[in-house]
Amino acid sequence: MSMGIPEVEDAGCLLCFGYNGADSHPIVARRIVRGRQKGMKIICVDPRVTETARISDIHLQLKGGSNLALVNAMAHVIWEEGLTDDRFIQEHTKGYDEFLKVIEKYTPEYAEPITHIPADMIRQAARMYATTKPAMILYGMGVCQFSQAVDVVKGLANLALMTGNFGGPSMGIGPVRGQNNVQGACDMGALPNSYPGYQNVTVPEIREKFEKAWGVPLSDKVGCPITHVPHRILHEKDEKKRIHAYYIFGEDPAQSDPDLAEVREALDKCDFVVMQDIYMNKTGLYADVILPATAWGENEGVYTCADRGFQRFRKLIEPEGDLKPDWQIIAEISTAMGYPMNYKNTEEIWNEMIDLCPSFAGATYEKLEKYNGVQWPCRDKSMEDKGTPYLHKGGNFATADKKALFYGTDWHPPLEMENDEYPMSLSTVREVGHYSVRTMTGNCRMLRSLEDEPGWVQMNPDDCKRLNLEKGELVKILSKRGYCITRCLPTERVKPGATYMTYQWWIGACNELTLANLDPISNTPEYKYCACRVEKIEDQEWAERHVKELYDDIRVQMGIDTGKGAAS
Amino acid sequence: MKKELGSFVIGDSTKCTGCKACEMACFTVHNQGSNHVGKTVGTVTVPVVPRLFLTKFEYGCMPIQCKHCENAPCLNACTKGAISRIDNQVIVDPEKCIGCKDCMQACPFGAVTLLPYAKDGKVVAQIGSNETRVFASKCDLCKDVPGGPACVRACPHEALRLVDPEAEREEKNIKAAEALLLTKNWR
Repeated sequence: MSMGIPEVEDAGCLLCFGYNGADSHPIVARRIVRGRQKGMKIICVDPRVTETARISDIHLQLKGGSNLALVNAMAHVIWEEGLTDDRFIQEHTKGYDEFLKVIEKYTPEYAEPITHIPADMIRQAARMYATTKPAMILYGMGVCQFSQAVDVVKGLANLALMTGNFGGPSMGIGPVRGQNNVQGACDMGALPNSYPGYQNVTVPEIREKFEKAWGVPLSDKVGCPITHVPHRILHEKDEKKRIHAYYIFGEDPAQSDPDLAEVREALDKCDFVVMQDIYMNKTGLYADVILPATAWGENEGVYTCADRGFQRFRKLIEPEGDLKPDWQIIAEISTAMGYPMNYKNTEEIWNEMIDLCPSFAGATYEKLEKYNGVQWPCRDKSMEDKGTPYLHKGGNFATADKKALFYGTDWHPPLEMENDEYPMSLSTVREVGHYSVRTMTGNCRMLRSLEDEPGWVQMNPDDCKRLNLEKGELVKILSKRGYCITRCLPTERVKPGATYMTYQWWIGACNELTLANLDPISNTPEYKYCACRVEKIEDQEWAERHVKELYDDIRVQMGIDTGKGAAS
Repeated sequence: MKKELGSFVIGDSTKCTGCKACEMACFTVHNQGSNHVGKTVGTVTVPVVPRLFLTKFEYGCMPIQCKHCENAPCLNACTKGAISRIDNQVIVDPEKCIGCKDCMQACPFGAVTLLPYAKDGKVVAQIGSNETRVFASKCDLCKDVPGGPACVRACPHEALRLVDPEAEREEKNIKAAEALLLTKNWR
């Protein structure tokens, strides 16, 4: 995020795009609510009536998969009506004219049939965003989990650049991340193309620096993104490129990745699978080796918040049983494989890391303690450098000439559109009571009482009436790739023709249905759009029994005692 | 001095985000004693049954709970004397409740529901059968909890508050009087 999360509540205008804070980040949602109390204007872009939509000035309830058409149309209005910050564009950006050529055709009237939003409403939203300062954009998985994701992120950045909304507090663009510490994972180089601190593996000087520090030769090739793994196991012709071993920790691809049937086949065919996690999960069923790790509260270290804030987290209780923190397991595996790692604590690892990453170099444990966290970039170890709450101060961007680049692209529809056989669309979403793949929250009875297997499919009441479905009824939902059983939840908050499911349920696993269609740059799958069909199950008694059997089966396979009921 | 009118908790839909922290807090405080619910996971052995209901519909989202009505329809409907007014609050005695659902029917807010009854960390069975005993469950304003209603304290959005209707009326009277003083006719 270019801004800090505490700044959210002081924005003049918030464009909340494909981001449902109330379900995914209640603590950020709190800032939005507070901002509203302080008079912040809110434009909410979401195909569903979210809690943010409810308190917004303008709710653009767009048709799923039309993001870029809407963003480009908003840019068109801002340009056409002369609402741009020309001085900012002149002094701090490049490529504006080329960008205008792209957005020229995106009149609100052109976007209306694509987005299903009246042209005048697009105009109103664009005016509100461009004329209320400071204006901030928050976006979530409703932007990132499409095959056209990076283009939309750039499109949103274009809006902020056109209106000069960069370089100060409570402005800019903010991806509110999809998982806890996903920012930290990226910061630490858990990406195929970078070392810690976003230092590219293909740059020779960078590679030499790390080779020298670690005393080993390092590859100059970009690695494999997680979403390419099934293909590289199953269909890779080049023997040298085929993946034979898969070491998975803190991730449950057999639950969270698209097209689960293919993922299962890949895990099955992979010669060697190691799983390192805190509880048994679906991926664990395919593992040759399981390494039990400690959970939050049983270990300590540093997380990065979505707003680049490094925060210490602490050990609260001693773990019980034969398990170790992740960093110790990694160090021991590495040592056993011939590269000894003799770290005594996380601070030693941290110090080594920050000394190799210029933009993190000043974020010492001492400062993290004293200031309750530090937002990078923090380059200097002196106590005066407290980090960077917001980026691009004074309009200076992190490019060679300090100028930002406009980048315009045309909209294209999602890959799999509704058709005769699968007439509805499916989007995966989150719910407040469960986190991610439920490895943690599914084992907590309190949270299971909020929602439990087999989950729900949200549908418009008109669709439910047409299919003769009632609330709570078990239904079969199918796509080209598979099917699952879940409960019907009629709600006015979704539009006819669209369905929404959360992805954590073992039984109502919507990723049986989703499609591994990836964004070409981020490699993130199109979780937010595929075609599906909902079918009524006539024999509900059978369905209830069947769901219970499936659930008990999974629990038995996972070695969870089913006799006593509670897993926790 | 005893207050004239009973208090109640009310939610604010413009602040509520539906996080259900109120529901969790409600269950926890009502089961900390006899049902041994603690502050960490692994201590819940009884069904998780909050006494307020997060209610979500197209244009709204807020918890709904008992208004502690002065002429409480639930109290009037109960033929078993299981519902009574104690310290200006409408309270159910689960021991006397037979689960007839009359109070549920009577309540215009849907603030009452029947939920499994648990004691000493276990669900109570009915006499002569294995079926779970239920009782009319509703907000009791955390009458035995220090610090007052747990839902109000748990809400991260300050979307819940304890209403003292008399005090609020007096406050409004003062504001209205102040407004009148400012009108030109009075100068």
